[in-house]
Amino acid sequence: MNFETINMGAYNLHFIKTNKFKTITIDVDFYRKIRKEEITKRNLLKMILLDSSKNYKTEKELIIESENLYDIKVSSSISRLGSFSNLSFQTKFLNERYTEKNMNKESIVFFLDLIFNPNIENNAFINIDKQKEKLRQDIISIKDNKPRLAHLKLMEKYKNREYVYNTFGYIDDLDDIDGKNLYEYYKEVLDKDQIDIFVLGDFSSSEMRDIFREYFKVNTFKKDNKKLLVKELDIRKRIVRYHEYDDVNQDQVLLLLSLNNLNDFERKYTIKVLNEILGGSSNSILFSRVREDKGYCYYVNSSVKAYDNTMIINSGVESKNTEKCIKLIRKILKEVKEGKIDDKVIKSSINTIVSGINASFDNPIGIINTYFSKVLVGTEDAEERIKAFRSITKEDIIRVSKKINLNSILTLEKGANNEENKD
Amino acid sequence: MKKIRINKLDEEIYYDKLDNGLEVYLFNKESFKSSYVTFTTKYGSVYNEFVPIGSNKMTSFPKGIAHFLEHKVFAVKDGPDPMEFFSRSGAICNAYTTFDNTTYLFYATSNLKENICYLLDYVQDLYLTDESVENEKKIISEEIHMYDDRPAEVLSEKIRLNALNNNPYRDSIIGTTSDINKITKEDLETCYKTFYHPSNMFLVVVGSFDVEEVMTAIKDNQKNKEFDSLDEIKVREIKERDEVYKKEEIINSTTSIPKVAITIKMPIKDIKLSRRELSLYLYILFTSMFDETSSFDEKLKKDNIISNTTYVSTLNTNTHMLISIINETNKDKEFIKRVEDKLKDISISEVDFNRKKKVLISNEIFAFEYAEQINDIILDDLIYTGKVEDNPIEVIEKLNIDILNDIIKKINVNNISKIILKNKK
Repeated sequence: MNFETINMGAYNLHFIKTNKFKTITIDVDFYRKIRKEEITKRNLLKMILLDSSKNYKTEKELIIESENLYDIKVSSSISRLGSFSNLSFQTKFLNERYTEKNMNKESIVFFLDLIFNPNIENNAFINIDKQKEKLRQDIISIKDNKPRLAHLKLMEKYKNREYVYNTFGYIDDLDDIDGKNLYEYYKEVLDKDQIDIFVLGDFSSSEMRDIFREYFKVNTFKKDNKKLLVKELDIRKRIVRYHEYDDVNQDQVLLLLSLNNLNDFERKYTIKVLNEILGGSSNSILFSRVREDKGYCYYVNSSVKAYDNTMIINSGVESKNTEKCIKLIRKILKEVKEGKIDDKVIKSSINTIVSGINASFDNPIGIINTYFSKVLVGTEDAEERIKAFRSITKEDIIRVSKKINLNSILTLEKGANNEENKD
Repeated sequence: MKKIRINKLDEEIYYDKLDNGLEVYLFNKESFKSSYVTFTTKYGSVYNEFVPIGSNKMTSFPKGIAHFLEHKVFAVKDGPDPMEFFSRSGAICNAYTTFDNTTYLFYATSNLKENICYLLDYVQDLYLTDESVENEKKIISEEIHMYDDRPAEVLSEKIRLNALNNNPYRDSIIGTTSDINKITKEDLETCYKTFYHPSNMFLVVVGSFDVEEVMTAIKDNQKNKEFDSLDEIKVREIKERDEVYKKEEIINSTTSIPKVAITIKMPIKDIKLSRRELSLYLYILFTSMFDETSSFDEKLKKDNIISNTTYVSTLNTNTHMLISIINETNKDKEFIKRVEDKLKDISISEVDFNRKKKVLISNEIFAFEYAEQINDIILDDLIYTGKVEDNPIEVIEKLNIDILNDIIKKINVNNISKIILKNKK
């Protein structure tokens, strides 16, 4: 595998050359500081651009053409990377070796045309109602996913942190969006967002560079800003307990922990090992003690967002066991801080992480994500990372475990969904 | 050891059948960093009535038992349990139960042979106590509650309940709380002995490895294990009426937007096509009728009846094909009317037919990029046809619109079951 970056002025073009795959994958990332009032627009933009274009006026025409291009896959997504919102467009198509000559270029032109040649008239997107309706449904449907609903309720309790927002956006904001202000926002994204592009597969660098030079129509220079670390929460002496209610068959239990005062190595490495040990897999302490020993739940996980400075533990529990379950989780957290961690679990957790690093090289998107985090936060190469993980000791883990602090607990329980409910 | 060449994809699979009946399939590709290994018994939730090993009497078992057994196979008497063993080398293990099979699997980037042998060892040894069976009932009932909180799951369960009468595909794979409470240690042991016999199982290894070495390790592992002799397992024959069980139902559930399913029930005994061919034809037909390339989709979105594209799921129940047309909409009545209108005139153009064939061929090539997908393809072939398809592209190329038009004539659009899932309020 061979990695090269070409500075194109307005954006960075990264080539990852490998002959491992029968496909070519391209990822175009537009990112900027997240702002609540932009989230809904960004989501709608993600949908509108893939719905139709100047050349393919309807979704039907567009999808038919994508099928004719050997079923080229095109997708868009919004994700949050610490304090940034990333609007990403991805495509994957069969390398022309498996189809017809010149299909690589034709496929890329089709893909980029969706981004740069939208369906507009008089500086306004047309026919946005269909996608507005779809986004509205997506926002409403969050309620069908109970773990997610519980997470959303928990986030509503916090302010002034970039992770508190609903990633789909807000119904109130949706009503204010029209073709005109959405088009203004689109122009702003092209002009002001930072842009990184990744191309992965077997191709000629010079040909690829020429295609982008001709068809990737952005030419404004941007100031480089990679400060994605979210400000940490203050340590609380008293843990806040929230009760929320909804029509559920099973209680959702969430514990939010703050990470305080991590150094760079801990953020990149040690905290991930701790998370893996605690609740990263079915060999974790939480899984074996809360599910296997006590049978309180079917799932219990912990997940860490190192650049958010948070960790979350979640589980779905039968209501009669909810309090017992919370008590047990808190007991486990306390014991871990006291160093009650099995050496075997430490070793296996590190092996699991190393295995994950190796396995990510079997997947084009996995490889691209690795290089993207190299660009964003200076993640080291695979070999160096593996070495770093292997160097972590039990003492390191205990030290970092003392830097995680329980901040609040939320349960989503069966009962009338009362929006006015105050804890 | 035999070699199977997958034509037009430049891929090879090695195959051997061991003395105890276990079939082994090895797919080696040097560029892979990780391996994906599955060990499968041809035993899923639909095998509820059969003649157990060592018996001659057709016996009925509680529903949900195959899935329950999957949970319990993970228990070991001594030494590390699977979670612990695999994680030592950073491997990840899991298992799942479907209607037709139960599969134990792991992903690994190192220690492949040791991990394969351990997989064989723990699956081929059952350790049960009355206490552990009781404790598992608690865990599984939480799993059931978890699905009860997912409206899409509730809908897909109801589809089968209302379309089928006494076909075992009717019942949920996991069972109900009352089903699983009936399960005993003895039931589990009987099912295990019958269906976890090596002659009813196969192992698929996809990754980067030395084929000879891995095959030898598997043979060495198997040669000292003893199993009772087993003839072909007799399973109760399914007799299923052609009519749907319930034509229409409105279900009160917790869902933010009403969900609708219209299921066509189609007998398959008179269709002289392979299972794969039938499913490809139906895929082509129903995607071209309802997906983003259809006028149906365009019109309903324009008229604000739907905002997501209609989803079509198909299930082959061995006696009937269930074809479900699914979406979520506040205009549920209107949606059903439009679907019914569309079903009055089922047809496909030559252009659409050929474009969908191109899509299928492309996706076959896309799929051969991932270890997991390659394993899935082999596994599905073995479950449903007993052999690996060595001409997957050609099967698609040979599809012919005249045959599809004959299938269309056999679809009885009056034999449908409709479900609306709505909020209680």
